[in-house]
Order: sequence, then C-alpha cells, then structure tokens
Amino acid sequence: MLELDAVTVRFGGLTALSDISFHIKKGEILGLVGPNGAGKTTLFNSISGLVKARGRITFNGTDVTGLPLHKRARAGIGRTFQIPQPMHHLSVRENLAVAQVFGAGRHDENRIDEILAVMELSHKADADAANALALQELKRLEIAKALATEPKLLLLDEVLAGLESNAKRSFMMKLKELHKLFGLTIVIVEHDIETISGLCTRAVVLNFGQLIADGSPTEVFNNPAVVESYTGTAHA
Amino acid sequence: MSVTSPATSAPVASSRFQGRGALLGAGLVILALLPLLTGASPYMLGLLISALILSGLALSWALLGNLGGMVSFGHAAFFGVGSYASALLAAKLGVPVLLAIPLGGVVATLSSIAMLPALRLSGPYFALAILAYAQIFRILATELDWLTGGAAGLQRYPGLPTLFGIDLADRAGSYVVVLACVVLFAVVYVLLRKSHVGTALRAIAESEDATRVVGVNATLLKSWMLFLSAFIAGVFGALNAHIIGFLEPDYAFSGVWSVMPIIAAVFGGYRSVLGPIFGAVVIYLFDQVIAKSLIPVGHQILLGIVLAIMVLLAPNGLAGLVRRFFTKGQFNKTSEKSHAGA
Repeated sequence: MLELDAVTVRFGGLTALSDISFHIKKGEILGLVGPNGAGKTTLFNSISGLVKARGRITFNGTDVTGLPLHKRARAGIGRTFQIPQPMHHLSVRENLAVAQVFGAGRHDENRIDEILAVMELSHKADADAANALALQELKRLEIAKALATEPKLLLLDEVLAGLESNAKRSFMMKLKELHKLFGLTIVIVEHDIETISGLCTRAVVLNFGQLIADGSPTEVFNNPAVVESYTGTAHA
Repeated sequence: MSVTSPATSAPVASSRFQGRGALLGAGLVILALLPLLTGASPYMLGLLISALILSGLALSWALLGNLGGMVSFGHAAFFGVGSYASALLAAKLGVPVLLAIPLGGVVATLSSIAMLPALRLSGPYFALAILAYAQIFRILATELDWLTGGAAGLQRYPGLPTLFGIDLADRAGSYVVVLACVVLFAVVYVLLRKSHVGTALRAIAESEDATRVVGVNATLLKSWMLFLSAFIAGVFGALNAHIIGFLEPDYAFSGVWSVMPIIAAVFGGYRSVLGPIFGAVVIYLFDQVIAKSLIPVGHQILLGIVLAIMVLLAPNGLAGLVRRFFTKGQFNKTSEKSHAGA
C-alpha cells in the first residue's frame, strides 16, 4: 500500500531522516518506534506532505512525493497530530463535516453520526466548540476527523500519550475496533513497548533519522541495536 | 458543567441562525428607512450614499479578514481599479453603465491576481505587500495618461442611467442602487459563511495545517476570498465613480479607501456581517456631521479617539455590544423565570 524509497529529509545542516526505505502492506498495523528525536514525526510529516522529502513515496501505486498535503489527504492518507489540532472554534460535528466534504468529497450526515458514535463523541457533537473538549476527547476527535476523510492509511502520532493505563487500554481496544470496522491500514507512533506488542503485527525502529530494525515486535525489541538506542548501552 | 444533548442543541443552533437572519433583516430595513427618518434632504441623502459606499467597502474588507484571515491595507487598489475600469468602459467603449459596474468589479478581481503571490505571506507582511500593490496601481493610473487622463483625471463619462422611468442618477435613485448592492453582497456573505466553504475558511484562519491535513486546499480558498473581496470593492468603486462623475488617481486610489473600511469594520465589529455595514454608516455620519462641525480642520482626530475607545471598551465593536445587550437581556429573563419557578 505505501512504499518508501530512500526518503531523506534535511533541515538546513541537520539530517532528520536518512535513506529510509520500507513498505507497508494493506491491512497492517505497524508500530513506528524510536527514542525522542529519532525522526518518527518527521517521517509522518513527509508521508502526509507537511514537509518536503527527497526520495520516493508511493501510495497505492501512485507516486505522491510531489503532491501537496491536501491532495494526499484526498488520496486516502489520513493523520493525527501528537498535540491535537482541532479546528478550535468549530463544533465537533463541524470539524467532521469540513473533513468529510473536503477530504472525502461528499457530505453524509449519517456517516458522520456513525463516526461520532464509534468515537464516543455523539454527546459532544453540537454542544461545545472543540477547544472546550478534554484531552481524551480531543484525541478521539483527532481520529474522528481523520476517519471522516475516509482514509485508507491512518497515521496516528502518539495518540495514547498522556493517557492513564485504563484509558490507554480502552483506547487500544478502540483502535483495534477501528482497524476492523473501517478496513484500515494503520501506522502508529508509540513509545510504550507493551502497547506496540499488543497492537501491532510489525514494528519499525528509527534512531537518529535512520532505520535500525524492522520485524515483529518481539524480534525488534530483542534487537541489540534497538536496546542500545533506548538504554544507551549494548545489549547484555 | 453543562451537558447539552444533540437532540436539543441542533434546534438551538438552527434558531440561532434564524435569529441572526432576523437581526440582519431588521438591521437592513432600518438602514433602508434612514433617508425617510432623516427627512431625505439632498444633503443627507448624499451623506448616506457615501456612507453606504463605505459600508460596501468595509464589508469587502471584513470578508477578506474574517473568512480569508487576511488583513488588507490596500483596498484602495481594488476600489480605484473598479472605478477607473467602469468609467473607461462606459466612456470609451460605450458599455451600458449598469453592465460596466459589475465589469469594473471583474477588472478589480483580475487586478487582484497580481496579488496572489502575497498569499504566501501572513500577518503584517501580507498587509504591507497589499499596501505596496495599491501604490503601484495609483502610479499606473497617473502615468498611463493616454488611457486614464493622468493626473488631470477623467470627467466626461456617463452617470447612472434612467431605468423603468426611475432616474438612478437622482440622489434617491442612487441611494436605492447602492443600498441594493450592499444588501446583495451582505446576503452573499451570509450564505458563504454558512456554507462548508465558509466553515473551512474560518478554520483556516485558526489553524491552516489542521484544515490542509483533512483535504482543504487552503491556498485556493484564500484566493477565492481575495477575488470576491476585490470584486465587491471594485463594484463599490465603480458605483462611486458613476455617482460623483469625476476621477483622478489621488482620489480613486486615496489611502482613505484603505483606512476608512478598516476603521468602519473594526468599529462595527468585523467578525459579523452587519458590523462593518453599520460601523461605516455610524463612523461616516459621525465624522461628517459631528466631528467636522466641532473641528473643521483635522476632524479625523476624533475618529481616532472614538475608535480607540471602542477597541479598548468593546473589542468586538458595535455588533459585540448589541449581542452582549441581547444576551444579557435573555440571561435576565431566564433567571427571572427560574426564580419565579423556585
């Protein structure tokens, strides 16, 4: 579904991503892990079109490397931000309506109601502006907004961060439900090894902008290079 | 913490829209009745026509600011281009005036294409770029004297015609034409704001990335707002040109046409539709009737003082004050009812 070929991103003299190449199969839930500053969010930004990347990004057989952000969204690449970015002064329903009309090219209130119900936001749909929502609700809105664009690939940037363990567990169940219900391919950035192991079929590890491991969560988290990148010491 | 169910909040939102529509309608009726209320002397009609021209210009400025998220210091460019284009089309090509006026708006829109690169800029940089464009158009109008008459200006071009036996060049006729244009563009503004495009535009002004990531082509929508704003300003420039009957670059591209709509819109409340319209009428009449009689030379200083007081005490302008008044009234009624119930 998504193929990255030698993707490189430089900010002035800093190389944020260096020759990243891997592919994601349709229906996969892939965990993208790595220490802070490893380049995970930059990789999301380059896939979604927020930053320009060298190399080649192919989505569903089409080269999207040169496409602007809004065209990639319309092509089926949905994403969330680490710090939720709702359209603050619009209601939850208006947020979804804008995403649906411009991202999916249609307006279907029934579909919006379905998404609201799945994301447990029905009671907040028309009540308040999005900036009045609590953190967990904002995170659900962030995903709901992406779902309204009818994505084929969903990039989730630390959606579980800041949640306490019970909320985290229920959010994980929700992500599994969404994966089945909407037939999504998901890439999730997450630090927590348990979450990745419980949710993902595969994990890719970045460190200092380079891909250092790619495999099943068990393989990856036993990889000495990965352990070293997290602990700063070689694997015993 | 209050929780509103979707079932109850949807009608509330709908009635809020109807309430706003009713407020808009009532406001415009009052505006239409103003000449009768003032006795419709030719002098007062003339003042009101000028005030309404400013209303239209303030509306176009507020549309760009509110929906496009752009602050323009150069609306004189669109106003001047519209006025010259319409006057020249009527004078040199014999285009009927009522067709030349919207064509003036079209030419102003075309002139705004030159400003598209400025859309990459934001905040004060965009404002300054537009200010520079306005100066370029003023210089062009002065230098292209074979077309525009240069600094000497244009005088011999047709005024508003007679339509169905009504002389539109007459003050009352001109007033009706300008008022109709203000109402038309206010309705367009309301419909646009209520549409998905309007909703997306309001969101762009807050967070462009949040909208682009869900498929909104922010640059395209902002361009449309620039075009629409330029068109409206151009139409009112054209109307003004055919009503006053003379044009010169220093007048048509005067900084007044850039500054006054800002003052009017901010005074009236640029986030609303009615705010810029009524703000322009109040500000213009205050300036011409009260400030000029108090300080014949340098009366604009009073405008500055009034605007500063308004911004400090009521940042949402007249519209905000009216809204606050009605909200307070409703709150009082609700609390009276709840006390009675208790």
